[in-house]
Amino acid sequence: MLIVENVVKAFGSLVVLDGVSLTVKPGEVVTILGSSGSGKSTLIRCINGIEKLDAGRITVDDFDVTKPRELAEARKRSGTVFQLFNLYPHMTALSNITLAPIEVLKRPRAEAEAEARALLASVGLEDKVDVYPAQLSGGQRQRVGICRALAMKPRYLLLDEVTSALDPEMTSEVLDILAKLARDGTTMVFVTHEIEFARRISDRIVFLEKGKLITNLPTAEFFSAAGGLALPRVAQFLSKMQKA
Amino acid sequence: MRYTDFTPYDLVLLAQGLGVTLWVFLVTTAIGVTIGLVWGIVRFYRVPVLTPVISFVSEFLKNSPVLVQLFLVFFGVPGLLHVDMSPILAATITLSANTAAFIYVIVVSAIESVGRDQIEAARAFGLTRWQVLRHIIAPQAVAFSAGPLTALLVNQLQVTSLISVIGVMDLAKIGANLNLRTLKPFLVWTAVGALYYVSAKLIALIGARIEARLRAYAAFRGL
Ligand SMILES: Nc1ncnc2c1ncn2[C@@H]1O[C@H](COP(=O)(O)OP(=O)(O)OP(=O)(O)O)[C@@H](O)[C@H]1O
Ligand SMILES: [Mg+2]
Repeated sequence: MLIVENVVKAFGSLVVLDGVSLTVKPGEVVTILGSSGSGKSTLIRCINGIEKLDAGRITVDDFDVTKPRELAEARKRSGTVFQLFNLYPHMTALSNITLAPIEVLKRPRAEAEAEARALLASVGLEDKVDVYPAQLSGGQRQRVGICRALAMKPRYLLLDEVTSALDPEMTSEVLDILAKLARDGTTMVFVTHEIEFARRISDRIVFLEKGKLITNLPTAEFFSAAGGLALPRVAQFLSKMQKA
Repeated sequence: MRYTDFTPYDLVLLAQGLGVTLWVFLVTTAIGVTIGLVWGIVRFYRVPVLTPVISFVSEFLKNSPVLVQLFLVFFGVPGLLHVDMSPILAATITLSANTAAFIYVIVVSAIESVGRDQIEAARAFGLTRWQVLRHIIAPQAVAFSAGPLTALLVNQLQVTSLISVIGVMDLAKIGANLNLRTLKPFLVWTAVGALYYVSAKLIALIGARIEARLRAYAAFRGL
């Protein structure tokens, strides 16, 4: 289980996460919605240990990210896909994917490479194995980004607006892959502005508003008049997103 | 009675002077690059106490004349610490430290040139700081710093001529002696200058070669 407990995170006097609690069970797809600046990326960055918490606790399968000695184990259990891909520009697609399995999981190179090739093939990039990120389209880069995360066999896949830097065609390339992962039972924490897509694949939807989680509901309930839509802030957000 | 004509042996002396200059240059470059790299790595790890001390020392070395540093080491340190200081030792210490200070600056900016987002990604996947330095930062930083490094070394070669002032028999000192004996400054300094020029060109050429190779490797930048 991925457990976020009363997490507080501030940058100077700006409180970005204000007592956030969230539990993600294995096999679940949990979508985080919220307007720009509400703290979604910060929450993801706290879970993968990039940001230090000011208060509270996050455990990934019982490994506490706030404890330096447990952080490494916690990190092995989550894999992040980033909004701006964050690929290593000096490495080929293949090396981008195999670096962490070889260095962190100490997998033999040949094995790691065989798996990376299989992953690339599964997202239709079998001919881009030896290509550098600069030579790939945005959608292709993000598919490599997804393979890089999957290569770590994470228990929890963290996705932070992974399609918002992509045009509609490339977006659907990537969403198709995520939909397949969801069907296969991959546990996901999914930050997105793709409301319709989130509705299709999520088990639960949480809404972050100014650093507070104001709802945490099963998907159908979130979109029902008596559930999420009963909250003015959520209704307003959804209608604005649907217009856009 | 002075003998003011050039003799074939003057060529031997010039060659020896050039040898001393190049030797001092290579040794102080090796030491300076090593120290500068270590300083850069210390800063990367944000080691407390050490990091600000290094920044201060580097600032001091960059912002005071090498000649003053040389006098401080050659004349000042022996009196203070009651140690013997040969000209060549003083020259080695001073030039190594000075090179280290500038290498440090190059290393720091090369490390900073590597995008934060990739580093965060690698950290999120569980790579240690050392693994990030080795696999993500170093390959890109090396490509970034080849140009500035070459420019620095060409300059540091010229700076070695200062050590002639404390009596090291380098190329400049041999030139000065030759000039005193022959009283033909134009010829002597033209020859000495030409030798420095050729050496500097050689360094620049090697640097450009290496940079070109790194550039080819750095084609990933998609330029
Ligand atoms: N390193 C930082 N230093 C200072 N402030 C920061 C830092 N990182 C984020 N913030 C601030 O924290 C707030 C939340 O940022 P965050 O990136 O988590 O928002 P978000 O919900 O992901 O927004 P978006 O939908 O635009 O990606 C913003 O006001 C942002 O300016
Ligand atoms: Mg964000």
